[in-house]
Amino acid sequence: MRRIICLGNALFEGDDAGPKVFALLSARALPEGVEVIDGGLGGLGLLRFLEGTERVVFVDSTVGLAPPDADVVTLDPARVAALASSGFDHAAGLPYLLKAMPLVLDTPTPSIGIVGIQGAHGRDVLERAATLALRLLGEPSATRGTEVPS
Amino acid sequence: MATSITIDVPLNRVEGDLEIRAQIEDGVVTDAWAAGTMFRGFETILRGRAPMDALVITPRICGLCSTAHLAVAALALDALSGAVPPPDATRVRNLALMAEHFQNDVRHGLLMFAVDFANPAYAKHSLYREAVERYQPFAGSSALGTLRASKRILEIVAILGGQWPHSAYMVPGGVACVPAPTDLMLCRQILQQARLWYESQVLGCTVERWQRVDSAAALDAWLAESPAHANSDLGFLLRFGREAGLERTGAGPGNFLCFGALPIPADSAVRGPTSSGFLVPAGFVHGALNEPFDQAEVVEHVSHSWYEDYRGGKHPFHGETKPNATGRDGTKYSWAKAPRYRRKPSETGPLAEALVAAFPLFVDLVAKLGPNTLTRQLARLVRPATLLGAMDTWLTETTGEEGFLAAVEPIEDGEGFGTTQASRGALGHWIKVEGGQISHYQVITPTAWNASPRDSEGVRGPLEEALVGTRVADPENPVELGHVVRSFDPCLVCSVHTIGPDDRPLGRVVVGGSP
Repeated sequence: MRRIICLGNALFEGDDAGPKVFALLSARALPEGVEVIDGGLGGLGLLRFLEGTERVVFVDSTVGLAPPDADVVTLDPARVAALASSGFDHAAGLPYLLKAMPLVLDTPTPSIGIVGIQGAHGRDVLERAATLALRLLGEPSATRGTEVPS
Repeated sequence: MATSITIDVPLNRVEGDLEIRAQIEDGVVTDAWAAGTMFRGFETILRGRAPMDALVITPRICGLCSTAHLAVAALALDALSGAVPPPDATRVRNLALMAEHFQNDVRHGLLMFAVDFANPAYAKHSLYREAVERYQPFAGSSALGTLRASKRILEIVAILGGQWPHSAYMVPGGVACVPAPTDLMLCRQILQQARLWYESQVLGCTVERWQRVDSAAALDAWLAESPAHANSDLGFLLRFGREAGLERTGAGPGNFLCFGALPIPADSAVRGPTSSGFLVPAGFVHGALNEPFDQAEVVEHVSHSWYEDYRGGKHPFHGETKPNATGRDGTKYSWAKAPRYRRKPSETGPLAEALVAAFPLFVDLVAKLGPNTLTRQLARLVRPATLLGAMDTWLTETTGEEGFLAAVEPIEDGEGFGTTQASRGALGHWIKVEGGQISHYQVITPTAWNASPRDSEGVRGPLEEALVGTRVADPENPVELGHVVRSFDPCLVCSVHTIGPDDRPLGRVVVGGSP
């Protein structure tokens, strides 16, 4: 099993890229063994979706982690996890989830990929993010998306 | 010398930002202001939509208590449609809410509140090293144990509702799911594992033993009875909190409001603490009085909120949400309205639930010490003990013989409301439908009650009032204020930065961060 988990708030402009990519991927015929999840605001509650899977790709809005002119990027999971320098709180998001993951899962830790979407996003940006997510998942049929080195 | 301290409570994805300013003179807080810094606008989003849309939109108000918002939205539509859910639908709705409470209470208690015990401000506290060993983020024994144990409980929501997050299975007339016997069995296994962990790590005893603690003296005896009790997370909270003086801070206004929750089906073996028919009875406690709750007595003021003014308070059926951003000049300072019950600022949450239910331990503690930070937190950490038994019984009793969904008439024009207890306290949705569309929707969250600004009579909100009188040893690291704020469990994250009399920043400290 491999999973794409889309994060964000569909009702909050600027944080709604993940849910929109979820909608695009849900309309596609996905390869066998690939599951797409609307992770929404699940935060630490998403830990269970990291168990029993070999690879997980997150899709999320990002600010300040990519070059200013980039729109769809890959992010280094270790760099994102390192942002969780403080304790758990109501804003604990992907950084806390990634940092906690190897410490508390009951199954082997999956490998992680992250697609970040920065700034305004039209249909083209979202389509490229969806394609990049599938490619990061290891789907060779996915065409290459725009990305920057992590 | 007077010094202002600002507690920033920023948020990225749930609830709304909160900023708290505290005025300090001679090391003691003399005044405080709680300001919501972000306009949410859900009432505006909902206007003009189909009534059923509330089931999908309102759970997005909060990523942590989305089940509670779903539940009250469904209750409001029950009221509008006249639908009465079958007993098993009530059980399934209750179970989801209780799973959400369990996860919230242990995560807040052990990952958010207790982590402040590992703050360097307590380096000279006799239990500081033990606090670091237990609660240091990503390393503390209790912190990791809590992360591991709490990650499964919401599976109960996913199993019963078919999906989590963004479950939308509570609908007018019941639930849109039919859990199979194997689903219910799996839920019981998850629940039993959660209970074993909770008894072992958090209580240090069985739920039944804990429930025999019925007075302040019995609490002392329980603590001294066994190393397992003293070394549990609950025992540590008491030992550390007493030495840190948490019984002497955070009093608040002394008014406690509970909307009531978890209706007990007529055919159930579960017994509530009163004859109300609810596992969590509704009521209003002020002083020695414990009075029935009447939603008609709820109003919201906007005199200090960034909305167009109206006189006094308005009931949510008549409430207005017309933004009026005036900046920081004048009397307005918050995007949160000021809810009041019978004109009083009212605390809500697990302590309010315990006092309204007249649990002897909490009635005795408040009678002897007054409301305070430690008792408020104690109530939250032991609330799961009041839920676990009923959860198991309701899972056992659920058979589906009477179905999970009653026949529902089309939703006609009219008005209705739903109330419950979310993890942080009283939650209500009020809805009006005209021409088949939502014409009016008002939401009052627990954090709106607890972190409300002043009302039109200038009376502080509960959290504002609770901060007044708190002694702060180091204005650059006001961990004492963090304890008070966290004991209300605002749906937010705390950081603190200090500002001098001339508004010049003096420093910034994270409350609840790494030691």
